[in-house]
Amino acid sequence: MLVEQIINGVVLGSMYALIAQGYTLIFGVLDKLNFAHGEIFMLGGFVCLASIALGASLPVAILITAIVSGLLGLMVEFVGFRKFRSADAHITAALSSFAIGLVLIDLSQKVWGAEPVALTLPGSLQTATITIAGLKLVVLRLAILVISLLLMLVLYLVVLKTGLGRRIRAVAESPAKAALFGINVTRVNQQVFVIASVMAGLAGLALAVRTGYSSTDVGFTFGLKALAIMAIGGMGDLRGALLGGLLVGVIEALAFQWGVGQFADVFVWLFMIAILLLRPAGLFGTLVSKEIRT
Amino acid sequence: MNVVAQSVLVVEGLSKSFRGLNALDSVSLNVRSGEILGLMGPNGAGKSVFINVVTGLYPADAGTIHYGGRNVTGLASYELARLGIARTYQNIRLLRRMTVLENVLVATKEHNDRPLRSFCVWNQRSFLTAAKKLLEQFHLVDKSDWLAGSLAYGEARRLEIARALAGKPSLLFLDEPAAGMNERETEELGSTIRASHKFVGAIVIIEHDVAMMRNLSDRLIVLDAGRKIAEGRPNDVLAQSNVVEAYFGTDGTDD
Amino acid sequence: MMQDYIVFVGVNMVLAWSVYVILLAGSLSFANGGFMAIGAYASGVLTVKFGMPLIPAALIAGLIAGAVGVVVGFPALRTRGIYLMLVTVGITVSVKAVIESIDYVGGIQGFGGMVGTRPWHVIALVILVGCGLWFLSKSPLQRILDAVREDELSAASLGINTVYVKLVCFGIGAFLAAVAGSFYAHHLIHVTPDQFGIVVSVFIVLYAVLGGTNNMWGPPIGAVIMTLIPEVVRGLESWRPTAFGVIILVLLLIRPDGLLAFREVTTRANKSWVTGKADESKPAKAKSA
Repeated sequence: MLVEQIINGVVLGSMYALIAQGYTLIFGVLDKLNFAHGEIFMLGGFVCLASIALGASLPVAILITAIVSGLLGLMVEFVGFRKFRSADAHITAALSSFAIGLVLIDLSQKVWGAEPVALTLPGSLQTATITIAGLKLVVLRLAILVISLLLMLVLYLVVLKTGLGRRIRAVAESPAKAALFGINVTRVNQQVFVIASVMAGLAGLALAVRTGYSSTDVGFTFGLKALAIMAIGGMGDLRGALLGGLLVGVIEALAFQWGVGQFADVFVWLFMIAILLLRPAGLFGTLVSKEIRT
Repeated sequence: MNVVAQSVLVVEGLSKSFRGLNALDSVSLNVRSGEILGLMGPNGAGKSVFINVVTGLYPADAGTIHYGGRNVTGLASYELARLGIARTYQNIRLLRRMTVLENVLVATKEHNDRPLRSFCVWNQRSFLTAAKKLLEQFHLVDKSDWLAGSLAYGEARRLEIARALAGKPSLLFLDEPAAGMNERETEELGSTIRASHKFVGAIVIIEHDVAMMRNLSDRLIVLDAGRKIAEGRPNDVLAQSNVVEAYFGTDGTDD
Repeated sequence: MMQDYIVFVGVNMVLAWSVYVILLAGSLSFANGGFMAIGAYASGVLTVKFGMPLIPAALIAGLIAGAVGVVVGFPALRTRGIYLMLVTVGITVSVKAVIESIDYVGGIQGFGGMVGTRPWHVIALVILVGCGLWFLSKSPLQRILDAVREDELSAASLGINTVYVKLVCFGIGAFLAAVAGSFYAHHLIHVTPDQFGIVVSVFIVLYAVLGGTNNMWGPPIGAVIMTLIPEVVRGLESWRPTAFGVIILVLLLIRPDGLLAFREVTTRANKSWVTGKADESKPAKAKSA
């Protein structure tokens, strides 16, 4: 049913948006791409799985996932980004984060194997449905959607209204000037990484919970796509990442509905290329990005 | 200098706006062969925009540019450079990681016109000699192997001008060459520019330094808010009331 | 076994150079995995389905990839830096997805029956490319590329058609990656699209960056080292990927400019090696300005 598919698309899109916002936050503040981001997303699902296997309830598993993801983010920032501060360093930082990502995948496969691992939730949480306005909706998916949107709303408010947000925006505009104002740029970078990674980890948890299993290759399939979504929405633009994610999610869902699902990936990447060439500020971006064309 | 004042460059009705702001408003002027033309005006008058449009960095919104009788409106920077329009930049743009000699060598017209063909060039002796001769004229040949990035400011500017002349242009634009220079450096710059006149028929200088322009220019044009407000001999122009008013409060150096 | 080493090391050296050539003009491309795929599949179709011998097939595949590179590069090279990185990632991913959807070449299952690579093919290729690049480094074109790489605006003011130069480099890089990919495929006999994804593209860039990109010797040395590291850590059999990743990280951290990052400073027209003379930290002659 069309409406159901669209809702599915929105749920999917909200997960993409969580990841894409992380990419865009790191890009906006550090001017670099974090290729380990997708693996933190991937690990979110596994951490949740492990927590539940060890007897934790879902809320506790969520908390553990958030904490572990944040710690992973700190590690990635320290190993892959702390040393590469100059403008030319965006390539070495990208390559380092890529290497870290590979290590994370390998370590995950050591622990959990290369095949997807099933995740079962306590009780009937997985399949409970509720009927609203004549539509039968899966409670879980609704919960994911609501929580994701809430998280992004909180992030938005933090960036706009709090002291932390002000510092983040200052560093995003110019780390050098921010430092002159006495802002501890390293601390801000760490905080940005923690925020982005927590969001990615929780998105991974959401995916695992929604599909019922975790797999070590989702970082490359799902996660990399969020990179394209970031560019589509507007690099460095949080709102763009949200809207871009939702858009792509819906388009993918519809594509599957209409039987052309296997082209969804190619379409997203080609669309990203088109956007970068024709409208580098992104579909929804309001900022004019710095380094596009001369 | 040419007795017959042909025009090397004829600009008519040039307009350019950025997001609604009229940077250039129907500016018309010409540059005569053999002259040094000064282009002055307060900050924001459109001098840099003018030079950027004429050297192909931005397309004009309206107007035409004729160079040596040929319509060159809308051509790209490199095409204009190949036709013989050279320039320097306000922030000195040298290839800092290459040596002084290499900076001049990289301006070699024969190579740049056909870059792929330059792959096959094995004997570069003649180009080397020519480059060193040019550097000699600009008192830089002793520093041939220095990295361009390690030159003092005045020398760097000299090198930039020398490099612009290496391609044997017919028209040279100097965009605020004296920016950031003290009095002595400015004087040296003046001699450099006069010496350059041997190499290129026409020079257009954008500058704020009134004394320097009075001494160097054959003719002076003043822009204000995107429009030409005065044109003529330096002493005449600089005495005009509207020019003095436009420059109110500035004594030549406007930062 | 020795054959394997020669072929893999040689192919990777050429792949590293294919990225280097594009870097010469100032662009960093993650698209060469995709061009490698085009080379492998195009040459495979020519040899397997049309019975063409390997060398002409590889060259034609290279030309095809070069043409695609020029067509795709024309819009793509209007972007810079991270944006270009993303666009080239998109190119690789798209190429892989397109290949996966073509049943004629086996789709996801892959394509097989490609034989014919001999070690001397690869050795000859390495020597040819090496000579070409060496010759380039002594020619005026190298200076032009240096200028384009350092400051496109200046270069344009000197009459250099920067778009053309960047495009030519991009096309040649695509050509090299495709020829290397052809030899690679015809050694493995059977390939799947999975072997040409984003990971390969990043690895190729790693070869070049780890080796050092400001001269022509860095990239192939980086390729040699990175191809042989898995052998070195062979003992840690099941920890290989992790060890590999850690080694890459360590190398990037201790020598971010690459292992071979000396600057070949010459007035190239003089054809003399003047090492250390124009070291950036000290001017050539200690005269006071």
